[in-house]
Amino acid sequence: MWQQIEESLRESMGRVFTKIATLLPGILAFVLVLIIFLLIAWLAAMLVRWVLMAVKFDERTSSGTSTLTEWTPLHTPTILVTRIVFWSFVTIGVLVGVSTFEAASAESGISAYVFAYVPRVIGAAILLFFGTVIGRFLSRSVLISAVNLNLHYARLLATGVRWLVFVLTAAMVLDHLAIGGGIVDLAFGILFGGIVLALALAVGLGSRDLVSRSLEREAHRPVEAPVEEKLHHF
Amino acid sequence: MPKSDLADEMKAEVQQAGPVDLLLGISGPVNVTDLRQQAPSLLESAGIAGAVIAYPDGGGREALNSDSDASAAGFIPYSLTGSDPATLPWVISSVAQKAICSLAVDLSAKVCVVLHGDLKMLSVERLQTLTQAIHEKQCDLILPIYQSRKFDGLLNHSILAPLARALYGQRVRYPLAQDFGCSARMFQKLSEFTGGRERSDGSLLWPATQAAMASYQVCQAIVDVHHQAQTEGLELSTILTSLVGSAFAEMETYAPYWQRVRNSQPTATYGKALQQTSDGDPVDAKPLVESFVLGSRNLQEIWSLVLPPVTLLELKKLSRCTPESFRMPDELWVRIIYDFALAYRLRTINRGHLMGALTPLYLGWVASYVQEVAARSPLAAEQRFEQLARAYEEGKPYLVSRWRWPDRFNP
Repeated sequence: MWQQIEESLRESMGRVFTKIATLLPGILAFVLVLIIFLLIAWLAAMLVRWVLMAVKFDERTSSGTSTLTEWTPLHTPTILVTRIVFWSFVTIGVLVGVSTFEAASAESGISAYVFAYVPRVIGAAILLFFGTVIGRFLSRSVLISAVNLNLHYARLLATGVRWLVFVLTAAMVLDHLAIGGGIVDLAFGILFGGIVLALALAVGLGSRDLVSRSLEREAHRPVEAPVEEKLHHF
Repeated sequence: MPKSDLADEMKAEVQQAGPVDLLLGISGPVNVTDLRQQAPSLLESAGIAGAVIAYPDGGGREALNSDSDASAAGFIPYSLTGSDPATLPWVISSVAQKAICSLAVDLSAKVCVVLHGDLKMLSVERLQTLTQAIHEKQCDLILPIYQSRKFDGLLNHSILAPLARALYGQRVRYPLAQDFGCSARMFQKLSEFTGGRERSDGSLLWPATQAAMASYQVCQAIVDVHHQAQTEGLELSTILTSLVGSAFAEMETYAPYWQRVRNSQPTATYGKALQQTSDGDPVDAKPLVESFVLGSRNLQEIWSLVLPPVTLLELKKLSRCTPESFRMPDELWVRIIYDFALAYRLRTINRGHLMGALTPLYLGWVASYVQEVAARSPLAAEQRFEQLARAYEEGKPYLVSRWRWPDRFNP
């Protein structure tokens, strides 16, 4: 009995070691390819940066009326392009690494699965990037406009807009990655519907008196020339 | 050479009638009937012969000298290309001014006078003032000094005029005047204006800057005219974006020039100083202060991208002042404008956002000014503007330093 257990354990250990030994060349090939592509990416990024600086890319792109810097003011166009080049090579490296992993090991079907998923990941990354930039841009626009309209809840409004765009982006990204399936759609619908309903109830029921008082006050307020009219700016 | 849209046939017709001594251009929508009735007799009374009057027209050619042969003037309609009604009035006016200058070049005129569409400047005395300064005093550009009350033209007095004075070294009261007269070489220069880069829309023509760049003689004439503000229905941030944004764009274009200019020079001024009859209605500064405080509470994050810490600290202190004791020092205001100009150049944030973030600060300055001059005479208010203009000049080394080394540590 004891002998049979020992033999069976030894067999399973052997299978594990065999499996590890089968995977090792694949892992090694993956790491090697990744290192090579990291080096290529670094060299390509350096080259692109040098070329862009030589042709004064930043100055040229900033002279237009609607430019990249308007949307992402903290990064110069050169840095953005350099980073895009670098990460493109890294991504290619990962994909080639996965292929070599599959070729060097006995495992099959991994690269087919990964390659099929890559367009989704790229699409999701683009969605996330634009969602974040648009969210920040809109939030800042709303904040400034609301302040200039003398709205005391300007910050609240701007934060609301930013999170609205971020939540929408997150839902789109998850949907694009096919993560969560129908749950994301459902949760998003419930969340948005909930927010709108809550606002409607708050204004319609909770703030009914406040709104009516405010309207009455506006109706009975004597007409008075605003300060701006007595001042002439131009 | 820039060409106007004047048809060759009409050009030949005008030149056949004799040399064009004066081109009188109207730079905005005008009542053509009034113009045709008033202008010839006025020009005749002013002793101006060989004048041609250009006015904006939607289309169709008006007959030249159609009124009578005895008429002293011919009329030329010109089209305002790209003058969308939604465009800001001063942008349309600027396009028209440039078109009139191109027309003057085409007609080989000797003098060109540009007038606002309300025709308030159309009088014998004023026309003579503008033309004589060019003929007799050898002025290349003559700009008016308009009659204004204490609370009129605040954007001009707080930013546009003192900034232009500090940058280009010419003490001009209205650098973005609606009316002006110019010599042949000046209108040639103005007709060539493109601003050094592609300016598809919203660009403004700054005659005084162009004259300063070319070292032409600039003069001023005091006139008892007050044009109606054209800002009804426009938001202040839109006005700031257009006018101050244009001034900042000019700064960017002409940086190599203005960095060399050290002090401002007085400008020859003609005409009698006007007696201020009215102080203007009293203004309550409290809502203005509240706008500033609201901005200070909410826009710190944006201001901190543009302004150095010491300025932010001073603004924070200001926001804690009571409305009655609210005063914005000139040095602080000047540094704010210079830092915003730098941020405009560096595109630290979106330019529309930048000008939006300047609006509460501008209202803060207005509140401070309103309270300061409330009890003072109009003359004292004028002196207050002079004091501010000097602060702009004194602060210029700060701007030059920041402009040249924007990444240098600035506490």
